[in-house]
Amino acid sequence: MKRLLVTTAAALFAATAGLALATSAGAAECPSGEFCVWQDSNFGGQRANWSGDDGWWESWISDTDSSWANHGISGPGIKDHVKVYESAWQGGGMTICLAPGQEVGYNGAANDRGDSHIWSTGC
Amino acid sequence: MLRSAAHIRHTVLAASAALLLSGCTAVGPGAPGTPGVPSGTAAQDALLKGAEHRLVVDCLNDQGLSLASRPRAPDEDRTLRAALFGAGPRELSVTLATGATVTAHQDGCLATARHRLYGDQRRWFRAQVIVGNLRAEVQARVRADPAHRAALDRWTRCVTPPDRPRPDRPDPAVATRCGRESGLDEIRARLEAAELVTVRALRRDELTAYRQLRDRALRRAAELPASTHPQKGPTLS
Repeated sequence: MKRLLVTTAAALFAATAGLALATSAGAAECPSGEFCVWQDSNFGGQRANWSGDDGWWESWISDTDSSWANHGISGPGIKDHVKVYESAWQGGGMTICLAPGQEVGYNGAANDRGDSHIWSTGC
Repeated sequence: MLRSAAHIRHTVLAASAALLLSGCTAVGPGAPGTPGVPSGTAAQDALLKGAEHRLVVDCLNDQGLSLASRPRAPDEDRTLRAALFGAGPRELSVTLATGATVTAHQDGCLATARHRLYGDQRRWFRAQVIVGNLRAEVQARVRADPAHRAALDRWTRCVTPPDRPRPDRPDPAVATRCGRESGLDEIRARLEAAELVTVRALRRDELTAYRQLRDRALRRAAELPASTHPQKGPTLS
């Protein structure tokens, strides 16, 4: 169920080199249908992305998350909102809830705090 | 005695949390008396989501795009994302009390669909983001409270074995026992209930806007014709 893809900044650059300028001003580079988390602010550095839930992020991204994007696809009955929690298995309090199409480039409070997330039908 | 008191507090907290969870919608009757608008929150959510989805699908189809064809090549997916979520500068932006600045594009099929349903896209974005994150705002206030910090320190000492570093994931049974013994559970429950009242008062205007715009969208969704393509006229600014 869980799908985790790790994209290095170098690989991302190679894949999008021709469009780097166009995409930097556009939507964050996050596949449709997925929730993406970056180690750096403003959607930079290494990226993790999931199409499903993850109760405990892998160590390289947990508590090092700095920007987020929800590119979930909506539809009747589909869980398209994402809730991020500061502890594994949705513990310790929710830090942010994002509807589809919403992005956070930086968060002074929730920076480097995320440990898990779930998809939900609403916030 | 203490434990049962704590249990009652937990029950109260659970009820408060349930209220807050449905807080997005438990702020009014929801377009009462409008034909085609159901009374239950879940049915209303389904109506709104279904209407938004129809508008988005039609908008994408007008551009020769479809959500159905998967998997997509990276370039195709990028094209779809730009059409769906928008491109260029992020015109919509709200900074939450938690410090997060949530942004979105004002163009794209999703934004266009929401504009048609909710009427005032900027106002809806602001209300939805703030109301959707009331719980996060409550949690941030609880975390900042000195009593909570002190209890969390006690909890951390409690779950840390002697002569060993703090475990990344304490044994669940130990974590539960320490939550009780450190007073963290009780303090968290008390603070969450109190902060919920405070935050709902602080965000009263956004809660009102959320209810008004949602009611409008419910009426629009119920009246949505079979074909959702925009009629001629100034439906979109």
